[in-house]
This record gives sequence, C-alpha cells and structure tokens, in this order.
Amino acid sequence: MNNMNRRDFIVGSAAGAVALSASSLLRGAAAAETPAMTIAKWSGAKELDAAQMKQAAVKLTEKAIEGIGGLKRFVSQGSVVWVKPNIGWDRAPELAGNTNPDVVETIVRLCFEAGAKTVKVGDNPCDLAAKSYVSSGISDAAKRVGAQVVFLDKTRAKEVAIKGERVKSIPIFPEMIECDLMINVPVIKHHALATATMCMKNYMGVIEKRNTFHQDIATCITDLTRFLKPRICLLDAVRILTNHGPRGGDPKDVAVKLAVAASTDIVALDAWGAEVLGKSVNDIPSIAKGVEYGLGRSDYRAIAREIAVT
Amino acid sequence: MTRPRAIWSIATTRRLVQLIVLATFVALVLGTRWDATTPSRAERLRTFFAVDPLVLVTTLLAAHSVPKILFWSLATLGVTCLLGRVFCGWFCPLGTCHAMASRLLRPGIRQRKQWGRWDSWQGLKYYVLFAFLLAAAFGMRWIVILDPIVLLTRTTATALYPATYWALKETRNSVYRNDPGIGPARLAKVTDPTFDWLNRNVFGAEGMPDPVYLGGGLVLGLFALTLALNAWRPRFWCRYVCPTGALLGLFSWRPLLRRSVLSENCNHCDLCGMHCHGAAAIEPGGAWKPMECFVCVDCRESCPRGGLRFKFALPMLKDPELAAVDFSKRGMLLSTAGGIAMLGAMRIHPQSRGRQYAPQLVRPPGSRAEPEFLARCLACGLCMKACPTGGLQPSWSEAGLEGLWTPVLKPQIGQCDYDCGAGNLCGRVCPTQAIVRLTLEEKHATKIGLASFDVTRCIPYAYGRNCMVCEEHCPVPDKAIFYIEVEITDRTGGKTKIKQPHVDPEKCIGCGFCEKVCPFKDRPAIRVTSANESRHPADPSLRPEGNQPILPGEAAPYG
Repeated sequence: MNNMNRRDFIVGSAAGAVALSASSLLRGAAAAETPAMTIAKWSGAKELDAAQMKQAAVKLTEKAIEGIGGLKRFVSQGSVVWVKPNIGWDRAPELAGNTNPDVVETIVRLCFEAGAKTVKVGDNPCDLAAKSYVSSGISDAAKRVGAQVVFLDKTRAKEVAIKGERVKSIPIFPEMIECDLMINVPVIKHHALATATMCMKNYMGVIEKRNTFHQDIATCITDLTRFLKPRICLLDAVRILTNHGPRGGDPKDVAVKLAVAASTDIVALDAWGAEVLGKSVNDIPSIAKGVEYGLGRSDYRAIAREIAVT
Repeated sequence: MTRPRAIWSIATTRRLVQLIVLATFVALVLGTRWDATTPSRAERLRTFFAVDPLVLVTTLLAAHSVPKILFWSLATLGVTCLLGRVFCGWFCPLGTCHAMASRLLRPGIRQRKQWGRWDSWQGLKYYVLFAFLLAAAFGMRWIVILDPIVLLTRTTATALYPATYWALKETRNSVYRNDPGIGPARLAKVTDPTFDWLNRNVFGAEGMPDPVYLGGGLVLGLFALTLALNAWRPRFWCRYVCPTGALLGLFSWRPLLRRSVLSENCNHCDLCGMHCHGAAAIEPGGAWKPMECFVCVDCRESCPRGGLRFKFALPMLKDPELAAVDFSKRGMLLSTAGGIAMLGAMRIHPQSRGRQYAPQLVRPPGSRAEPEFLARCLACGLCMKACPTGGLQPSWSEAGLEGLWTPVLKPQIGQCDYDCGAGNLCGRVCPTQAIVRLTLEEKHATKIGLASFDVTRCIPYAYGRNCMVCEEHCPVPDKAIFYIEVEITDRTGGKTKIKQPHVDPEKCIGCGFCEKVCPFKDRPAIRVTSANESRHPADPSLRPEGNQPILPGEAAPYG
C-alpha cells in the first residue's frame, strides 16, 4: 500500500464498497431466518453451587446469543461496543441488585470474538460508582476478558435534544452514544413505581437528571428508547429481585430463575421479563407505550424460540 | 578567615527532611479515602496526629481520655527537652509551607534588618495557649483547631485538594469541548488520559463524587493570608500564633542542645540574625532564646567566620547566652481572665452543652453525644476527606463557634453511605475517636437523624403526580420509606390513584439518601434533621416501639 496512486485508491475503494454492500445483503438474508428472540432456560441439575451457577450463567448467555444468530450480526469488525449492564447499586451479585457479572463477562468475550476492537463496560449507578462497580463483581469480570471499565463523568454529560413525547432534551453521556453499538444487558427486578425494571428502564443509566422521570416513567423511558434505537438487548434472569426493588438487599427477595433471553425486540424482552417476575404485560405501562410507538411487540411468544440448556 | 561554603550542609539535610515529611503528609491526606481492597490505608495519616503534643494535651484535658496512639507525642516532648523545637524546624509540614513562603517572599539582604529580630509580641502565643489550656480543662478544646497538623490537614483536605482537582478537571473538560485539533492531532488525547491517570492514581477519585466543601474557598483564603504574612515577618504563623509551637517552647526552656557564639570569631555583623527563622536572637552576637529557636541551624550556616556552634550542655547548667521568654504577672492574669471569658463566650450558644439540637446538625454515625464530641473533635476534616459520598461537610454555624469546622452531614451534597467501607470510614480515620469506630452491623443500627416529608412540596402530595424516587433509593433493605396508594381528585374533578410515600421512624436511620435524590434540588421535599439520633438516647423525638439495640458509648452520660 506504500506506493498507492490515486487511480489504485479509487478502484480499491469501489471494490471495497461492493464487497461491503454484498456482505450486508447476505447478512440481511441470514437475519430473516434466525428468530428475533431466544430464551435460554436451564434444564440441568436443580441444586447448583457457586461454580456451577457461574457455568450456567455463561452457557445461558452463549446459547441465547447463538440463538439469535450470534453477535457477528451486530458487531462489525474493529468496532467499539458499549456493554450497558445494570450496575445501579452497591450490592453483591447474590442480591440481584445488578446484572449478573458472569453474564456481562460472557457478552464481552463474545463481542471480542465477533471482531470488536474495543469493548467498554459502564453504567451511571445510583450508589457510588466506584463501589457499585466493585461490589457488583462486574468491574473484575469485565476486566478479566479485556473490557475497558469506564466511569462516567457527570461533568461531561451533554444536553441532547431527543424530541420525545415528554422528554424534549436530556443530558446524555457522549461516550455511550458515540459507540458503534450499545448492547443493553439488564437484570429483571421488581420496581416499586414502574412495577418492574428491565430493558427499557435500564436506559436510565445513559442519562443524568433522571429523577423527574418517575412522574411519568413509562412515557419518559419510551422517549429515551426511541432515541437510542436499540439493536440488541440481553435480559438476565439468572437471579431476579422479586420485592423491595430496584435496590433490594434482602436475600429473601431473590429468586433463582436461571434464564437469559436475547432479542432484537426490546418490548418483547420486557414482556417476557414481566412474566418471569410473575406480573402480566398489562401491569407494566412502558410495554404498552413501547408497542404504541412501534418499538416492538408484547406477544413475545410469536417471535421467541426457547432453548433448554444443560 | 572566611569559611568555604560546604556543598552539603546540615541545613540541606534539614530541607530534605522537611520536604519528605511534607510530601508524605500530602500523600497521606490524599490517601485518606474509600478503598475497595485495603480500608485500613485510609487511617495512616493518624501517625501525624499521634506525634502532635497539643492534640494529646487538649484532648486529655477536655475529654479525660484519648486513644492510646496519641501518647506517642510524649516522645515529641522528650525530643524537645533534649534538642529544642526541632519539631517546628525539621518536621512540621505547616512550618515547611511557611518556611518556603518566607524564602520566596524574603526581601534583599539590605532590607532584612528587622527580619530575624525578636519581637516581644511573639510572647502572645504563650498567653493565648495558657488561656485556652485553662478553657480546655473545662471541656472547651477550641485552640486545637489552630494546631498546625490539624490546620494543614483541614486546609489540604477541604481547600487545596479540591481546588487543584477542579483546576485540572475544568481545564481538561474545556480542552475536550473546544479542542480544534491540528489535523489528526488532538490536545484532548493528551489532557484526557493525563487527568484520568491522576484521578486514578493520585487523587483516587475515579468513580467517586467530585470533591466540594462548603466554605472551602474561605479556608483557602485564610491559608493564603497566613502565607502572605510571611512577607511582613518570616514564619509569621510559627512565631506569633502557633499554639503547638508555644507548647513546645515551654519544653525547650533549657534544651540540651545549645547555640553558642565564639566571641573571638564574631564581628557582630548580624548575618545570623538576618537568617534566623524563629527570631530567637535578641541582638547581634548576644543572648539567644531557645524557646523561640526552631533549630534550623541557618545561623550557623550563614556565619562566614564559623562563629556559631551547636553543642550539648547539661540540662540545668546556667548559661549567660540563654534567655527565656518572660511572662509578666499582668499577662498571666489577663490570660486567665481571657480563658474563662472565652469559655463563657462559647457557651452562650444554646447548642454548646447538648441542651438543644439544631435540626441541621446531623453528625456522622458513631459520633459521641454532643458535649463529648466537641471535647474531642479536632475539626481536622479527615472524616470529610474520607467520606465516600462527600456528604460530610465543615460546619460553619450549625454547631456554634465552638463547633466551627466540625463535621456535619449535608445530604444534598452526599448521603451517609449505607455500606461504608468496613463500618464507618469517618470513625476509622478519626484521630481522637470523637467519631467511634462501628462495625457494619452497628452502623446499620445507628440513627443519625430522621427523614420527614414536606407535604407542601412533595410531588405526590402537593402536585398529584407519582414520584417515589426517595423510596427507590432508601438503602434499608426492608425500606424505611413505604407508600400508600390513595385516590386523589384532580382540578377537573377526575379521580386517579397515586402512591404517596411515608417514613417509618423505627426503620429510618437518617442517612439522607432520600434528600439527596429528591427531584427538588433547591429545597428537597424530604429532609433529614437530627431528630431521633442514637447518640442522645435519653432524648428521642419519637419513643421507639420495639427493643432497640444498645450501641457502644450510648450509655455515656452527657449534658
């Protein structure tokens, strides 16, 4: 490439462009056949110790991603990916206050395997970020597989006009939306106000000044989801928080469900999550709001495939 | 007979020691912070307090008990008896700051006649010390807030560090936002990683809230002022004000190590006087006041004729070259009266004896009952530096003049972190245990206040909309904030159901997270006041219903 002249360059770029568009066409064809949603459920041994639990989380994540056609569909070569778990609270993994660290570790590894150049992991916690990153186990897990663990700087959040129904503009962390792809990886938790917090609600970690959202949480998080245009989400139900959410803290409120679902349809994932939590789709206003704005469908069974993992 | 200047002298060694001690001090102040792996690292700065005799003396007088570690300062007193005020000349980090400022601000040699001349006003610090030690015997430890270790800790933690942090951070952010770049070169590619590296490895503030302190600018201003006074008299603070210097001066009345002038070499040029840090010399070649001498040995270094020497003498040996600082009867009488007057003046404030509690006086968990707390607290600001949320702030008016700069929780800035490092980090770093160390279980059971709703502002009560951000953040596992669903009527007569939050006084520990996250950023609609605090068990605002755990130190008498 050292002695490339102008002519070579033009010819080369044209060839590249043709190759690129052809590959994306092929990719599109493949996507049509793969299901839009996969639910990986554990059907192995019932009583699991800590190490087996970890293995189960890894396998469930791998199978869920595999089921929707693998990450190559979403991660382009040399791209920068932001993995956005729920690291809301200064809570140990066993208390299900945050996304399971093994799920996060696996998804980061899969991103690298799919060709990502850089994978960043970070959230805007409610508790102290430095503590929550550590106590959730996510910081260590993500670093183990080579991700950059990023602390968001509140002084750098940039006011962005998102032109939603209720939220017209909001300070957003630029690092997050400037990435090539954001993979939303929340956990299913009870939420005193929103009934449940899952995929759509997890986007509240992308912004600042979020405490007025609660006055109409369904519309506000729908506005945010419409702006962010999610391409892939992963919902962690290895352990879920069934009461005193979203913060929790009492082991009695944790249920082990051993399931992970992946989808390109954020509303369908939330609808599935609602059922895992023992609620109906109608209990969660943001699902109806999401359907209203065409973000996805609430009858997740129509698009989902269930995989038993042992 | 001119002596050749040595390349390496005792004074060079001294400057090196001073710089090392100062650097260690600053590093330890910066290291006083939450740490995931080694929580005990935050406690290391206590070493400096442990060798400070004024901390020992005032705390012992005022509170009648001190943590054992503080008895190390008896060694400082021993060294002072032997060598004089080497603490001031060689060790004290504040002294080093003033020595550097004096050096920077010092006039040319010809204008330096008054520079090192003894001034009888230097005796004032002794009278002030007497007055306040008397007051300390009655439980009023106020003088210790002027102690050099305490003062520099507070200044570094609440003023110098945040000012440095913000200067660097604002520079970085402004480069990031406005970086025009030259071709592919971006200045932000240098400034961003540089700041991130500093933030991670030097400040240790990565992922932590930005440091902000109420009145930090004033603390910085006071510090700048005392540095500026070195232009008028070098080491102004050390000569005229420092109570610790005065205390050490009393112990260096007749030290073993003494300065002597070889009269055959002295031509009364007064170069030694012009270099004297403590203004310990009375007249050229004349007597010397060891009580004012910092043993910096610059006099010896300055003499071109080798006319000065430091040598050991027997302690009680009279020496014509030795002069004491004279204390007059009138001065002592005034000082006694002044001490009693100061004691009275501080006690005018209703807060002072724990008879009445300011609502905003929310003390950190583990704080002793107010009178005992004030007898011990140095107002050094270490707890504020250690507080992971930055919510502990210097008090300006909440605790009266006696409680100036003592820690008070300002939930709007930061809550009391529920699972704070190994219990309560503030208690772990407190040098005098004004804040007692708690285990995590004890901390979870300690009430520092009580939250209450302002229903004229709280959104579900006053404006008929859902909110519940406070409930969501309440860190008590079974929630001290709960909600009741009620039907409300809106202005058109329509009915809607809404969740209204309430506080359970049995469960609320007053951490203030609710106040921090309330959407109202001006005056939150849920606020924590000092009501119900565990440290005053005899005075609960709401009588507990169930059996409450008894915490260590709770049974201590007060008032």
